[in-house]
Amino acid sequence: MRRTLGIAPLMFGSLIGGFVLWQIAAQGVSNVVFAPPSAVLAHLGRDMASGVLPMALIGSLAHLVIGFALAVIVAVPLGFAIGRSAVVAAMVDPVMSAIYAVPPVALVPFLIIWFGLFFEARVALVFLMAFFEIVVTVTAGARNVDPALLAVGRSFGASRARLVMRVILPASLPFVFTALRVGLVRAINAMITAELFLAAVNLGALMKQQAQRFDMAGLLSIVLLLCLLGLVAQEGLKALETKLLPWHVRRP
Amino acid sequence: MKRLGYNILGIILALALWELIGRAVGAELFAPPSVVLPEFVALVRQGQIIVELAASLRQMIVGFALACMIGVTVGIAMGRSRICDGLFHPWLSMFVVTSVAALVPIFVLLFGTGFWFRVAIVFVASVWYVMLTVYHGARGVEPRFIDVGHSFGAGPLRSFRSILLPALYPYIMTALRIGLIHAIRAMVVAEMFVILGYGGMIYRAGYQPSTAPLLALLMTLMLVSVGVNEMLRLAGRKLAPWYDEQMGLTKIRLS
Repeated sequence: MRRTLGIAPLMFGSLIGGFVLWQIAAQGVSNVVFAPPSAVLAHLGRDMASGVLPMALIGSLAHLVIGFALAVIVAVPLGFAIGRSAVVAAMVDPVMSAIYAVPPVALVPFLIIWFGLFFEARVALVFLMAFFEIVVTVTAGARNVDPALLAVGRSFGASRARLVMRVILPASLPFVFTALRVGLVRAINAMITAELFLAAVNLGALMKQQAQRFDMAGLLSIVLLLCLLGLVAQEGLKALETKLLPWHVRRP
Repeated sequence: MKRLGYNILGIILALALWELIGRAVGAELFAPPSVVLPEFVALVRQGQIIVELAASLRQMIVGFALACMIGVTVGIAMGRSRICDGLFHPWLSMFVVTSVAALVPIFVLLFGTGFWFRVAIVFVASVWYVMLTVYHGARGVEPRFIDVGHSFGAGPLRSFRSILLPALYPYIMTALRIGLIHAIRAMVVAEMFVILGYGGMIYRAGYQPSTAPLLALLMTLMLVSVGVNEMLRLAGRKLAPWYDEQMGLTKIRLS
């Protein structure tokens, strides 16, 4: 506790200092080239109040939520299945790392061919980007269940089903949470990527308009919003994890 | 050895599955490997693909090298000094969740679409991952190792060079591997947005009637990425023979 307390003022100071530096640095140049944080925050406040930004954000969240939910539903069981069998894992591993090496944006032309330019294609991109991240992490988690725990279960005569429910699942849940966290951040990336690379809508459309008007403050305000969204998602899942998985001591 | 057999079996099965699906839906939707392979050979023979890829990779390497230098340095500093940790951590947490695609329009305004634009995008996309990985490594260095150094009279410089740095080799190699994947992703994002270079080729390939050229481009990119990644893994093993053992779990915790 003391440790975190000791470092918190420094972190806070660093943030303040960074924003002050940014403000000073942006003072000398025109707003077209680089906007100061005061202008960005003012822009963010204005767009939030006028309802432009909340409307766009809600539109964006639609494909984020659907794509991410689909990815979780498919990827978590799949990751378990792969991870619990050494043979399947050895077979899937090279294929997975090969697909993982392809940048997801490069699949956008495919998504256009298969799903068009609109909602379905955006959901598909979110799904793809979150899916692989989740499968890889859950697979690793299921593979790394402590064999000693399994042995104890077996010596006490636990059946296969009981072993899965009582040992494997709880032991790999921390990895599932890591997977969800990483997957959700990726999904948010995919959400804005889809809006910029497929038909421009919602936040993506706003960004494109602002880029055409050289509205740097507007662009930065959307990036700031997305960054906050990512932080909230990540910290929210972390808090949920500590609440739900008290047996798992997280390394800070 | 048995594992290698399963690896190869998995690749063969995946290719067979791809062939089956490809045949079923047709080359307009998803070209099978039997169509992609000749296309790939033709593209390589023609040579433009190699020229574009080499040019794109050259720009990526500049950004990635900068990211590695700064990421490793700051990562070590953060891991070993509470003050540096406090100073840099909030920014690290913020930037690591920031979407690269969202930064692209801003960087176009700032840098245009040339060399520095791509270098800058690759840099911001990979530096935070390198930093984070090295940071975790530097924090976790066994204190006993350092203590032993102290007892034998090693000064701070000696301790850094002979104890801390070797202990960090596996993490640095892993950081480079994670960073590289993000660097390649960022390169493609940036180039597809401005339709230039290799990413631009991928974008334009999407408008062709057959998906074979598109898949050939993606396969090439995949081979390069996997190849460099394996080279880094080998280098990691060479530099630190305990590499695989140590990185098994760490990779997941960090990703």
